[in-house]
Amino acid sequence: MLNIALPKGRLGDKVYKLLANIGYDCSEIYDDNRKLIFTNEENGVCYLLVKPSDVAIYIAHGAADIGIVGKDILEEDNFDLYELLDLKLGKCNMCVAAPENYVEDLDRPLRVATKFTNIAKNYYLSLNREIEIIKLNGSIEIAPLLGLSDVIVDIVETGTTLRENHLKVFETIMPISARLIANKSSYKFKTAEISQLVSKLEKELENND
Amino acid sequence: MVQLPDFFSKEDELTFGLPVLFENRGYKKYRMSKFEEYSFYSDNRKFLTDDGVIAFNNADGRLMALKPDITLSIVKNAKLSEKLTRLYYNESVFRMTGTGKDFKEIKQCGVEVLGDIDTYITGEVIMLAAKSLEMIDPDYYLSLSHNDLVLSLIDECGVSVEIRKKLAGCIGSKNTHDFKKICDKYGIDSKTSNVITELSCIDLPFDEAIEKIEKLVYTDKTKAALNEIKALRSALEGSGISDRIHIDLSVTQHIDYYNGIVFRGYVEKAPSAVLSGGRYDLLAKKIRDNIGAIGFAVYLDNLNLYYRKSREFDTDILIINKDSGNTGALLKAANEFASEGRSVCVEKEKPESYRCRKTYIFENGALTEE
Repeated sequence: MLNIALPKGRLGDKVYKLLANIGYDCSEIYDDNRKLIFTNEENGVCYLLVKPSDVAIYIAHGAADIGIVGKDILEEDNFDLYELLDLKLGKCNMCVAAPENYVEDLDRPLRVATKFTNIAKNYYLSLNREIEIIKLNGSIEIAPLLGLSDVIVDIVETGTTLRENHLKVFETIMPISARLIANKSSYKFKTAEISQLVSKLEKELENND
Repeated sequence: MVQLPDFFSKEDELTFGLPVLFENRGYKKYRMSKFEEYSFYSDNRKFLTDDGVIAFNNADGRLMALKPDITLSIVKNAKLSEKLTRLYYNESVFRMTGTGKDFKEIKQCGVEVLGDIDTYITGEVIMLAAKSLEMIDPDYYLSLSHNDLVLSLIDECGVSVEIRKKLAGCIGSKNTHDFKKICDKYGIDSKTSNVITELSCIDLPFDEAIEKIEKLVYTDKTKAALNEIKALRSALEGSGISDRIHIDLSVTQHIDYYNGIVFRGYVEKAPSAVLSGGRYDLLAKKIRDNIGAIGFAVYLDNLNLYYRKSREFDTDILIINKDSGNTGALLKAANEFASEGRSVCVEKEKPESYRCRKTYIFENGALTEE
């Protein structure tokens, strides 16, 4: 049985469709209930629906064998895992954004509001720029509007939220997309099952290109 | 394997069993102090994991550290024999956790061989690593690689240390998609990047892996690395462990310290590697002499969590003492059960949720079964 951790929400729906297309379906997942674990004995899969930011934690601790997670989470938390495929779903960018009329003051540390504190630290470290991190958990966009920070580091998908809050992207730190990850130990003991799934996914992704 | 009573945990079994395994192959126990001067570790910072070192000032004002690593200490302090020094240890290391707010003690048991390391010694250490894993769980895999096979090719790409680190990170996580993107971005020639990608995907049994690697290697370093793997394959022929060894070229160790065969061990119930090791002549040369060195550590932490033992009974016998005197007779009765090899506990009342095979009441100097 292959335990697959799926992120709840829009990305999870897209990924589930992709997996169902290659024969790893589990119709029960569409039932209107609050279950978080869905098993299809016939296909040999068990889906665990978890918070997107927790997928990698489940995999790292061996509670699931493989899972799908955004590259942002992997870059932020640095887990010891295999990253087997770029699923090219949920594409967006990790960006530095600020008010449209923002001009950087190089004479003082930059105040950066973000929930991705490690990504922000590493990015500015690479630029040798001194920063002060303001850790927020949501509604990051309002931080510079209220003078809480100079800039924000956050995920930008369409840019609509930024535009509606009179912010714009100043730098793109890295592109983000969904990745197939695997627990290193599971990969050793379930090599055939995981390799089969990876190869089917590769073919499906090629066909979608 | 040492036969221990079933109430001993997996960690207890290994704490007793691994030294027997190592002693039987001529390894001598190495005991060390838990403290070392901090400067020693700060000089060799890159050899350690990212976890912080716990430091403190001693009475003389010198900055000391609680030992965060054993290999470094052995290489620095061990008294070496003329040709070969075989040592094993059963110690704790101390580190700060990622957040730097908490401390943790990590129990490790392992071996280090210092001196003239040939194929036999490498094979012996690999075999001991495999036997150690087998002691944890007969369902194990030893993932083996050679540091020069992939990392020497990355070195030839001529990129900065930072990019090199990113490329090595991609190899370690079997992340070929980002590896290719970085290669394209920094103009690394496609032949090199394709060979590295193909090599890093190899995770196969010995013979299949050798056949595949043979078609890919083209530099002197990679050819020499393959020859070492082939020699090891021959050395381990008939050892009974070859089918438990996979050549996994995504396994790498720090190239400033490790220079040859490197490996990690996995057991079915643990979610991460429980054993790690390799050839580290470069570290030995840096700290001490121009000698060869190879070793591994088994991480004993958390094994009790993954290999839980459930006990059916707290003791075989429970004696409820309802007698106000006759202590001598009570002790004698308890001793008789113990001398028959049965565990026994005496209480004044039966403790809540106590599990025992038989309960006896001790009253008026005599035992009666409940």
